[in-house]
Amino acid sequence: MADIIFVANESNTTMTDQVFKMVENVIHQPHGSVALIFLIGVIFGGIIQYTRVDKFEKIAGFAMLKDTIIPKMLFLTVGLTSIGLYFMIDAGQAHYHVKPIILQGLIIGGTLFGVSMAILGKCPGTGPVSIAEGRIDVLVGAIGGLLGGLVFTLYYDDFFKPLMGESMGKTILPDFFKGHEDMTALIFGVVVIIIAIVIPKVELFDEADLAQLPEDQRPDKQ
Amino acid sequence: MANRLPWWMGGILMSGLLLLTFSIYGADRPIGASTYVPYAASLIFELDPEKYSYIDHIKNPGSWEGVMLLGVLFGGFITSVFITKSFRFSLIPTAWKTYKNNSVLSRLLWSFFAGFIMIIGARLAGGCTSGHFMSGMSQMAISSMIFGTVVMISLVVTGKYFYNTKGKK
Repeated sequence: MADIIFVANESNTTMTDQVFKMVENVIHQPHGSVALIFLIGVIFGGIIQYTRVDKFEKIAGFAMLKDTIIPKMLFLTVGLTSIGLYFMIDAGQAHYHVKPIILQGLIIGGTLFGVSMAILGKCPGTGPVSIAEGRIDVLVGAIGGLLGGLVFTLYYDDFFKPLMGESMGKTILPDFFKGHEDMTALIFGVVVIIIAIVIPKVELFDEADLAQLPEDQRPDKQ
Repeated sequence: MANRLPWWMGGILMSGLLLLTFSIYGADRPIGASTYVPYAASLIFELDPEKYSYIDHIKNPGSWEGVMLLGVLFGGFITSVFITKSFRFSLIPTAWKTYKNNSVLSRLLWSFFAGFIMIIGARLAGGCTSGHFMSGMSQMAISSMIFGTVVMISLVVTGKYFYNTKGKK
C-alpha cells in the first residue's frame, strides 16, 4: 500500500519541480550564479546562431568537405583561448579542468560522435540552437539523445565503464617540454591560429535560410 | 547591423566567452554541452540516484549545463528571430535533399539514430565539441587532442560514404 502511494506521488512531480531541483543544485556549486550561467548560455547560443555554425550545411557540409567555416572558427577559438588561458592560469586567475586520457573511451566515443555529427549535422552544443530556430528534425534527434543518455546511465556500471578502460592521467602538452612551458603554450596557440587562417574558406549556403533575407543583404551575394 | 557574423569574429567572441567562463571572476570551470543530456534523462525518467552511480557522478556538471542550456535556447531563439531572421519551422535540411534524399521519414529516423549514438559517444569520450574540442584543446589537453583527431577522421569518412556528393556542386 505504501508503495502505491509513493508511486502516485512520484508521478505528480512536474516539469517545474525538476527545473527547480536543477537550479537548486547549481546554487550550491562554486561555479557562478544562476544568472551568470544563464547569461553564458545566452551568449553561447547567440554567437552560434549569429555565425550560423549550427546549420546542417556547415557541419554535415564540413563532413562532405564542402564547407570549412566550422574548422576555421573552432581552431581560431582554440588558438586564442589557449594563449589567454595559459597565462591566466599562470597568474592564478583560472584553473585547469583537464579531462583524463581514457584511450578506449576516447577512440570508441570519438568514432561514434563523428559518425553521428556527420549524419545529424549538429553536436550537443549547436543542436539546441537549431531547435530554438525551429528545426523539428533536430528535436527528434534530441529525443534520440535523451534515450542515449538514459541507456548510458542505466548500463554505465555494467557495460560502459568497463568499455572505456582505465585513465592514463590528465597530461597536457607542456608536460612534455619541461622548462619551456611558456614557449610551448605560445607556439601551440600561434600554430593553431595559423591553421585556422590557412584552411581555405569554402562555403555551402542554404537557399531556404537566405531566401528569408532581403536580396541586397544576402551574405552569399556580397 | 549585419545579419551574419564572419567566422573570425565568431572565433574571437567565443574565445572571450570561454576565458570569462574559465576565469575565477566567471564560473571557474570550462564550457561543456553533453553532460546535461543524461542529467535531463535522469530527471525525466525519474531514475533513482542510489541505484545508478552515474547520476551522482554527473549531478553537478549536468545541472550547471542544464541552466546554461536554457540560456542557449533563449539566446538562439532571440538571435534567430531578431538578428539573423532565420527562424522558421522545417523538417528536412536543404543539403539533405541535395545530397541524401527527399524523404522526411528517412531524415527523422536518421536524426533519431544519430542523436542516440551521439550522446553515447560523447559520454564514452567524456566530452563533446564544447567540452573536449574547445575547452579541452584550449588547455592543451592530450585527451582532447586524441578526441579531436578521432572525431575529424570519423566525421569526414562518414561524410564521404553516407552522402552522395559525386557530380554535385
